[in-house]
Amino acid sequence: MKLKIVLSLIILLGLLAYDGSFIVDETEQVVITQFGKPIGDPIREPGLYFKLPFVQKANFFPKNILAWDGDPGQIPTLDKTYIWVDTFARWYIKDPLKFLQTVNNVTNALARLDDILDSAVRNLVTSYPLLETVRNSNRTMEMDIESKEAIEVPQMGQIELGRSKITEMVYNQAYPKLEQYGIHLVDVKFKRINYVEEVQKSVYARMIAERKQMAEKFRSEGVGEANKIQGQKEKELKEIISDANRKAQEIKGKADAEAAKIYAEAYSLNPEFYAFLKGLEVLKTSVDPETQLLLSTKAEVFKHIRGQEK
Amino acid sequence: MEWDWERLKKRQESKKVPDLQDFMKNMGSFKAKLPGGTFGFIVALALLIWAYTCVYTIKPDEVGVIQRFGKFVRLSQPGLNFKLPSGIEKVTKVKTKYVFKEEFGFRTIEPGIRTTYATKGAFEAEALMLTGDLNVAVVPWVVQYRVADPSNYLFKVHNVRATLRDLSEATMRLVVGDRNINEVISKREEISREAMDVLQKELDKAETGIKIVTIEMKRTNVPEPVQPSFNEVNQALQEKERTIYQAKEEYNKAIPAARGQAEKIVSEAEGYALERVNKARGDVSRFMAIYKEYTKAPEVTKKRLYFETISDVMEKAKSKVLIDDELKGLLPVWDLSKSKGKEDQK
Repeated sequence: MKLKIVLSLIILLGLLAYDGSFIVDETEQVVITQFGKPIGDPIREPGLYFKLPFVQKANFFPKNILAWDGDPGQIPTLDKTYIWVDTFARWYIKDPLKFLQTVNNVTNALARLDDILDSAVRNLVTSYPLLETVRNSNRTMEMDIESKEAIEVPQMGQIELGRSKITEMVYNQAYPKLEQYGIHLVDVKFKRINYVEEVQKSVYARMIAERKQMAEKFRSEGVGEANKIQGQKEKELKEIISDANRKAQEIKGKADAEAAKIYAEAYSLNPEFYAFLKGLEVLKTSVDPETQLLLSTKAEVFKHIRGQEK
Repeated sequence: MEWDWERLKKRQESKKVPDLQDFMKNMGSFKAKLPGGTFGFIVALALLIWAYTCVYTIKPDEVGVIQRFGKFVRLSQPGLNFKLPSGIEKVTKVKTKYVFKEEFGFRTIEPGIRTTYATKGAFEAEALMLTGDLNVAVVPWVVQYRVADPSNYLFKVHNVRATLRDLSEATMRLVVGDRNINEVISKREEISREAMDVLQKELDKAETGIKIVTIEMKRTNVPEPVQPSFNEVNQALQEKERTIYQAKEEYNKAIPAARGQAEKIVSEAEGYALERVNKARGDVSRFMAIYKEYTKAPEVTKKRLYFETISDVMEKAKSKVLIDDELKGLLPVWDLSKSKGKEDQK
């Protein structure tokens, strides 16, 4: 009997101790409420804590950084390009008391974040051209040499803000609105930005056209270069042959002149005798076995004979 | 250590395993001996099990994070370690030496000598990004990391892995967004270096306790529908080189041949020149020889030469007709056309 009383007392004490104490983890923070009414300051430090059992309730909230992943949505930019924007943000509960009073739990908080961040992202993305959300700085993009030759480097407009600045503006827009829920926004970032399908198709078409143009340019460059070489070849061929011909003529001319000189030197000793000899030679060479000779008796051959007759 | 552990486990099991009836029977025999009876025994057993939670081992690649009533108090190193029993102190083991890997834009299906990858569907969207010249690129990459600060890793951020993935994607797009398509394809190393810098800064700022070991870029490319046109550019480049090469080849073939021909023309001319001069010299020598004789006896030599020639001519000619000038009024009948025929009839 006595034992039973002792036993039930121990169990009761154990229950009281169990509900009267709680452990706060490094990742948690606690607000104690008494019949729903917050009591004292929120507990932020981890450790073992006590409260009135059954009367008071420990409400646990995460203390570490939590993630918010936006629902990717179609947003038009200022230059009317439709893009998919996937945003994420990181936040933590700065004021658990306010958090408890205004949104109560993390699920509700995420819904508020959806409302506030989605609209902030939408506001800013639609207010700027696409380039502003894609690029982060005005860093000069290097074209490799081949394509620099092939296509004019597309003059991308300079950006004024860039991605980091735009997300910062989203942050600035959302931050004060979230503060009232005891939420501290750590940062907002664009996880993914992509073209919507129709835009993507036309971008692909543009990319293809750009490359085709490049390929065409390379090909015609090749043909041009080849033509240049061929022209050079023709030119050099003519040069070489004509030069050789010129040289040949010069050499021949010189030789002719030399021969003429040699002949002239010798023959001018007695031009008459030369004419006589040449005449004989001509006579000799102009007669062949088919020739019929018609001779006058007055010819030189017979002159002597006739002379003797007289 | 392992051995001790195993033995402890076994001992524990042998304590638990006997079925309830045996247990109760034993209980009965013990009851009398133990102070406090059954109740005392249960308390003693509970205390024993509780005390057992004071011992734990940490593997060589791990670190133990000890929390006392939820509050982080210390780290424990590999080996056998002791702590206050369960309910007071809690240990969480964190692998600090192990290098974790996150893949973006693909997943390794089966690692091996020839690793197979999945790149389709949802993974493709991870790698699809806009470049600075508003083109679209496919950029798959791998982030390798390890836990550098186990307490931050455990306590500061909820779901570190998801945070790492989100930050990696945002960072890679930030870096790629400032580069044009050519740079994205050709300068992977530069991109991975910059992404690593930016990502590490973000992770430090968020106190994730993660240290990036490396960011490895896989093969960056343009989206599939655009790939053929990019290949076409490469083909065109090769075609260009080939066309130029062919022209050069023709040039190299034609020019030396022409030079040879030129030399031939010149040599021929030189030959002509030699011949011409030599002939002149020869002719002149011959003339001079005759002329020498002629000067000795001009008239006789002249006559001799004349007669010699005439006799040569006479000998060579086919027919001869002599006409005397004295025969006046005589018309010599000489049928030019028939003269040949008569000859034949004879």
